[in-house]
Amino acid sequence: MSCPHSEQEVGAYLDGELDLTSSLAFERHLEECPDCARALAAQRALREAIGAADLRFRPSPALTRRLHRTLADEPAAGAWPSWRRLQAIAALLLVAVASWSLGRVWPPRTAPDFADEIVKSHVQSLQADHLADVASTDQHTVKPWFTGKLDYAPAVVDLASHGFPLIGGRLDYLGHHPVAALIYRADRHVINVFTWPDAYGVEGSGAGGLDPAAASRQGFHVIHWSQGGMTYWAVSDAGEDRLRRLARLLLRKQRTS
Amino acid sequence: MAPDAQVASGGYTIAETEHPAMLNRLRDRLFGQDDRRSRFDRTVLPHLDAAYDLARWLTRNDQDAEDVLQTAMLRALQFFDGFHGVNARAWLLTIVRNSFYSWLEQRNRGHESADPFDEEIHSAASGGADPELELLRRADGRLLCQGFESLPLPLREVMVLRELEGLSYKEIAAIAAIPIGTVMSRLSRARRQLQDFLIAHGVKEGRP
Repeated sequence: MSCPHSEQEVGAYLDGELDLTSSLAFERHLEECPDCARALAAQRALREAIGAADLRFRPSPALTRRLHRTLADEPAAGAWPSWRRLQAIAALLLVAVASWSLGRVWPPRTAPDFADEIVKSHVQSLQADHLADVASTDQHTVKPWFTGKLDYAPAVVDLASHGFPLIGGRLDYLGHHPVAALIYRADRHVINVFTWPDAYGVEGSGAGGLDPAAASRQGFHVIHWSQGGMTYWAVSDAGEDRLRRLARLLLRKQRTS
Repeated sequence: MAPDAQVASGGYTIAETEHPAMLNRLRDRLFGQDDRRSRFDRTVLPHLDAAYDLARWLTRNDQDAEDVLQTAMLRALQFFDGFHGVNARAWLLTIVRNSFYSWLEQRNRGHESADPFDEEIHSAASGGADPELELLRRADGRLLCQGFESLPLPLREVMVLRELEGLSYKEIAAIAAIPIGTVMSRLSRARRQLQDFLIAHGVKEGRP
């Protein structure tokens, strides 16, 4: 062919192996190049003849049966001898028991996957104009704001006198449930306290009990506990000691209220 | 929050699917052959027909095709642990092809593969007339079969994989261990030679 498009390209076009751009360009070219048009017609005719002829060879039923028998008679390659298998199973059991026991003592009562979720929510809330739905340092403004938005009433306490001023509240979502987020400040650090009823059954509900358990993720500290049927998760880049202090304060206020 | 939760759980899905071959191997080692065999039966045996077709076209006769296929299937079972991919058909056809070339080398001391084959040969395109198109369309199975068998091995295998087994250029390149560009040029030459063969024999047999 005298044109720049090769017979290979004709074949690739017929086989649907050209990308969309090349394919469209080739179709435009076909309209003005009789050589390529003819080459395409010939290759198409050949393909149709091949398709109509059914040239595939198929194994006879006897051969298929024989092959299946041969394969079935093959010795069990790949399997370990029985003593080796027992060894492996024993080793797996040992690892399982060891990790289960370890999981009971370390890390102390945390739900690691859920801590990631808490940190994500926290980070999102720090993005512009997303921190507080209701910005108020008055607990008597923040608490009623949740009414009608949640099917429970979160306890809202101001801890300004203890160095944790309340700065507002927000409706957030954890595990597809709407939950209350209370926002506190500790110096320049923002602290989110998420709270919802244990009965919600969201992952992380009821975990921790009265003894706050801490973990850290991506440079944030996460601490969680539950009290009076409510689950609490607090998160901040403030130090763990401060979070623990906040947790103790909230626990004490709940008890006395 | 919800999209993030999905991303988080999506991460687990990926992590779980990354190691199925490893887990399968461990399971096979522990529980022996039954599980391995049933996976082999499910993933590889459905492509027995394609394997036979390729073996038959490469060897060009029934008996040799059976020998090659038997060797290939036993090798496939033996090397099944090494199969990590998703394309069991391309994997099996690669084994069939390799088995064929080993068989050919042993038997013929490479006579057929020693056929002069120059990648660079570009047959001159024949600017033919429409009666030739008619000859191509009317080519029957017997003539086409002869045409396929007349192709040199390197052209025949790509033609069988493409036209009869319907594989993509990428799959063919992997099976035949050649670049995609070579797949294209070999297919092009194979089609050209087949056309020439069909036209020449069609004319000889006195059809329109």
